[in-house]
Amino acid sequence: MDTLSTTLDAVCLASQMILESGGETYRAEETVERMCQGLGIPKVDVLALPTGLMLTVTLEDDSTFSRIVRVRNRSTDLGRMDQCNDISRKVASGRMSAEEALRALRALKLLSPQRRWLLVGASALSAASFTVMLGGSWLDFAVSFFCGGLVQLVLPPLAKMRVPVLISSMIAGALTTLLALVSTLLFPGVVIEPVISGAIMPLLPGLAVTNAMRDTIRGDLVSGGARVVEALLSVMMLAAGIGLMLSMWGGIRA
Amino acid sequence: MSWPLQLLACAVAAASFSVLLHQPPRTIPVSSLIATAGYAVFLLLGKTTLAYFGATLVIGICCEICARVMKRTATLFVTAAIIPLVPGIGLYNTMLYMVEGNYGMAVQTGAATVLALCGIALAITMSSVLVGAFHPRKKGKPC
Repeated sequence: MDTLSTTLDAVCLASQMILESGGETYRAEETVERMCQGLGIPKVDVLALPTGLMLTVTLEDDSTFSRIVRVRNRSTDLGRMDQCNDISRKVASGRMSAEEALRALRALKLLSPQRRWLLVGASALSAASFTVMLGGSWLDFAVSFFCGGLVQLVLPPLAKMRVPVLISSMIAGALTTLLALVSTLLFPGVVIEPVISGAIMPLLPGLAVTNAMRDTIRGDLVSGGARVVEALLSVMMLAAGIGLMLSMWGGIRA
Repeated sequence: MSWPLQLLACAVAAASFSVLLHQPPRTIPVSSLIATAGYAVFLLLGKTTLAYFGATLVIGICCEICARVMKRTATLFVTAAIIPLVPGIGLYNTMLYMVEGNYGMAVQTGAATVLALCGIALAITMSSVLVGAFHPRKKGKPC
């Protein structure tokens, strides 16, 4: 039989990891409810926000226990979210005890992320393909490939230095624009419009927008609103980076 | 630009973007295929604001169906699948006009970009509500 603290640890860790890897808040709430049901806790009240999670469980003897979990780092890792979902599903159907779940979740948390160069390659290829999709030539493809790869090389060290996400998204926008502008000097055939708009595509907050909508229609207005603001701000900072670099370049050239 | 090349580029772009999102390997080809289908609809409908809505609706419904068939969450598929539709070029042009001091054009392009985003958001919402209404998940089953 699992102790209450192990149960609560497992439940909190699962929902915290879902929020950290970019899951919707209703998913985190459902995870808590499902796992508690599977682990034999009669009543649980939970409120998840993009930045934290609160829950109170009530036992048979009417005693209550509460936990608050803070979610500081939010990144996008759909694979991890999917695996957390899997574990919680197993707990809910009674195929896994709280202790086993806790062990599995901790192992998942320690698991190193995908190889860095794979991500750099993926970012480069996706930026370059978006450029072609938006009407770029093969020369634009090459420039955009370079831009996309470089941005993905720069972003992880910035995150490690604890640069706020909004600032690093502005830096990414500025860097992309600078590279594209410099490349027009080196290769006169480069058309700048598809290069920049293709290279910023992987940087746009697609997941934040989808999550914002999904949270809002579920009636989680606080989370939905917060995510809309997050998405808007990140787009605006990206645009600010592009605009800054364009106007600086215009100033130098004039 | 010929449309087969655009669709091919779209498929490659969506697939590599889903690698960037750390998607589980088995879902990557599905996302990429749905993204390409969605972009084809977008091109057929003529790249208007309504086209953004229609294409996203197709993507959303396909993703919800795939999620139910593969017993995964729809979020896994949707995120990478709608990315080709996000109006990056409009965003860039808006910024360009603003930098040039052409505020009239900046507002015009900016409004069109925001409208496109609203169309996408509305269609995502509608697709999940529509599919949910016709094919509800069993209670207790995760989504």
